[in-house]
Amino acid sequence: MSFSFGAFIVEAVFGKDGACAFALGDGTVRFASGETIEAHPDAGIQCAAAHPSGVGVVSGGDDGRLVWSTVEGAKELASVGGKWIDAVAASAESNLIAFACSRDVRVIDARDAKFSRTFSHERSVANLAFDAKGRRLACATYGGAALWFARIEGQKPTMLKWAGSHVGVVFSPDGKFLISCMQDNALHGWRIADAKDMRMGGYPAKPKSLCFLAHGGLLATSGAEGAVVWPFAGANGPMGKQAAEIGHEDGARVTRVAGLPERPVLAAGLEDGRVWIADLTAKGVERIRADKAAAISALALSPDGRRLAWGDEDGEAGIVEVSL
Amino acid sequence: MSRTPASQIPVTVLTGYLGAGKTTLLNRILSEDHGKRYAVIVNEFGEIGIDNDLIVDTDEEVFEMNNGCVCCTVRGDLIRVLSGLMKRKGRFDAVIVETTGLADPGPVAQTFFVDDEIKAKTRLDSVTTVVDALHVGQRIDDSREAREQIAFADQIILNKTDLVSEKDLAAVEARLRRLNPLAPIRRAVRSDVPLDAILGRGGFDLDRIVELEPEFLNPPHGEAGHVHDEDCGHDHHDHDHAHGHHHGHAHAEAQDIRGISLSAEKPLDGPRFTQWLDKLLAEQGPDILRAKGIIDVKGEDKRLVFQAVHMILEGDLQRPWGSNERRWSRAVFIGRNLDEAKLRAGFESCIAANS
Repeated sequence: MSFSFGAFIVEAVFGKDGACAFALGDGTVRFASGETIEAHPDAGIQCAAAHPSGVGVVSGGDDGRLVWSTVEGAKELASVGGKWIDAVAASAESNLIAFACSRDVRVIDARDAKFSRTFSHERSVANLAFDAKGRRLACATYGGAALWFARIEGQKPTMLKWAGSHVGVVFSPDGKFLISCMQDNALHGWRIADAKDMRMGGYPAKPKSLCFLAHGGLLATSGAEGAVVWPFAGANGPMGKQAAEIGHEDGARVTRVAGLPERPVLAAGLEDGRVWIADLTAKGVERIRADKAAAISALALSPDGRRLAWGDEDGEAGIVEVSL
Repeated sequence: MSRTPASQIPVTVLTGYLGAGKTTLLNRILSEDHGKRYAVIVNEFGEIGIDNDLIVDTDEEVFEMNNGCVCCTVRGDLIRVLSGLMKRKGRFDAVIVETTGLADPGPVAQTFFVDDEIKAKTRLDSVTTVVDALHVGQRIDDSREAREQIAFADQIILNKTDLVSEKDLAAVEARLRRLNPLAPIRRAVRSDVPLDAILGRGGFDLDRIVELEPEFLNPPHGEAGHVHDEDCGHDHHDHDHAHGHHHGHAHAEAQDIRGISLSAEKPLDGPRFTQWLDKLLAEQGPDILRAKGIIDVKGEDKRLVFQAVHMILEGDLQRPWGSNERRWSRAVFIGRNLDEAKLRAGFESCIAANS
C-alpha cells in the first residue's frame, strides 16, 4: 500500500488492532483505511503518539491543541493556547498522556477527564517518555532529564544531570536505564538507581530516533551511516561495550529506527528515502523501499511485527507486509 | 559550490532596541503586497499578525554547546521552532526572526551554522538592525547590547531620520560606521525602506562577498550620507574630536567594539594566512563578532573569500580574478578589544616572500 499525502509526515502510528494512521504537518491525520481527519485546522501537527486505548492517534499541534483522532472524527483533549505542543507521550499501561509545551509538561488521564497534573521546568522540554508501566515520566531538557511520578501532585523531580541540551529520551523496558539524545551528536545514559553516567558518543549527527528491542537487550539509534545498535545486558548496560553498525553505507544516514519489543528485528529509514528491515541474528538487510526520495521522517512496526509503515518529508508513505 | 540550493528557506534576523522601529518594519514586510508568505518568530506577541502568515511565539533560550568551543552559544528555542516549521514546508517562503531589544545576535546567528539540520534546511540571509536616529547615540553609550547589534549587522536601518538635523545624521552615521564598517546604512522614516533591499541580502553567503571596501559603501564626499572617515583625506582628525566633544559622548567604542579594515597590495602566502586566521579566531573568537575578507593568494588564480562569526569560519576559493581587476587582499574584522597594530602586523606578515 502506498500513499501520496502531500505534506510532511510527522509520525506513523499503529493501533492495537493493527489499524495504521499517519500524522501530518498540514494538521491532518490520515488513516490507511481512507479517512482524513482534520485534527488541527489551519495548523500543523508537531508530535503524535498512539492513544492509550490503542485506538486512534493523539496529536499535538502548533495551535496549542492536543487532539485525539479516530476514524470517527477528532476530539480535543486539551488546549494551551498560543504556544506549540512540542512533544507527546502516551502509556497504554497507565492510560496517561503527557505533553510538553515550552517549560511545562501536562499529564492527563484518558479515562478521567478531571485528572490533570502540571510539571514545570526551568528550561523548555524537548521530548518525553513514560517507563514501561506508565508510572514514571522522563522529560528531556537543558542540563539533563527530569524524572517525575506521573500521577503525583506537588513533588520535586529527580534530576539526572548532564551538561548540554537533551532533545530525545527513552527508558529501557526494565526501567533501569534512561537514555537521552543530545544536541551535541551524542547519546547519554543514566543508570537510574545510582545516576551513574554512560557516555555513548561518536555520532556524526543527532541520534534523534531511539528504540529498545529484543526484550530490552538492544538499543538501536539513528544518527549514523547505518543503524547503531548498543548491547544492553546485565546491570551495567552498554558500559564498556562496543556498538555495532547495521546496514552501513557511505553517505546514507539513518534518520529513523523502529524495532520489535520482543525480537531482534530492526527497521531503519534513511535520509535518502530508503527503508530496510533486518533480523539482527541473520546477515544482511531486506530492502523495503529501494528508491531514493525525500528523507524518511516516520517509521513504525505493527505490534504483531507483520507490517512496517513509513513516511517521508514530502508526504509519501507506505505500509508493507514483512516476514522476518 | 552549491551552498544555497533553492530548498533552503531564507531567514532574516531583525534586531534593534525597544522603540527603534523594528515592529513597524516587520509589519511593513508582512503587509506589503509581495506575494510571499512568511513565518515570523517573535519573543513577545506584539501588534503583528497578518492572516496569511504564521506567527510563532517563543522564549529566548540561549545555551552552550558541548563542543569545546567557548563562544559556541546557540538559541535552543530557535532550533526547536525551526525544526517544527520544517514540518510545515510549503506553507511559507521565508522566515523572519524578531529578537528582543536586549538580545545578543551572536547566538541567533550561530544557530544557523552549528546545528546540522538547521544548516541543511535554512540559510541565514541577514542580520538587519534597526536603530533610531534620535536615540542611537545614547544607546551606543549606555548599552552593550545596542553596540553589539549594530556591530553584528549586515545592514543598518537608520530610522526616524526626520527627527534630527542633517549634521547630526552625519555624526550618527560616523559612529555607526566606526562600530561596523561593513554594513550599509539605509536612512528611513517610519521604517520606509524598500523591502527588496532588506530581504535577500545573502549576508552570510560566500559567493556574495564580491566587494569589500568600506569606502565603497560610503556615498561620495559632498553627497548626502557621506561619512567623513580616515579615507577622506581631509580634516578627519579634527572632525572626530569635534564630534566626540560636541555631543559629550564617552566613546566607549574606542576601547570596546569597532571595525578594523586591513589590506595588502601584494599577494599573501596561502598556508601562512590560513594559519594566522585560524589562530586569531581560536584566540580572539569570543571577541570577534563578524569578519569578512577577499584574499589574493600567491600562485592562485581564484579569489579566496572568507566570513566568520566568532569562531565559526567559512572560507572557499571563489571566482577567478578578472584580467583587468585590481588584485589586492582586504579583510574587515569587527569585534571587542581588537589591537589594530597587532592585527595589521599579523596580516602583513602573511605577505608572500619575493612578491
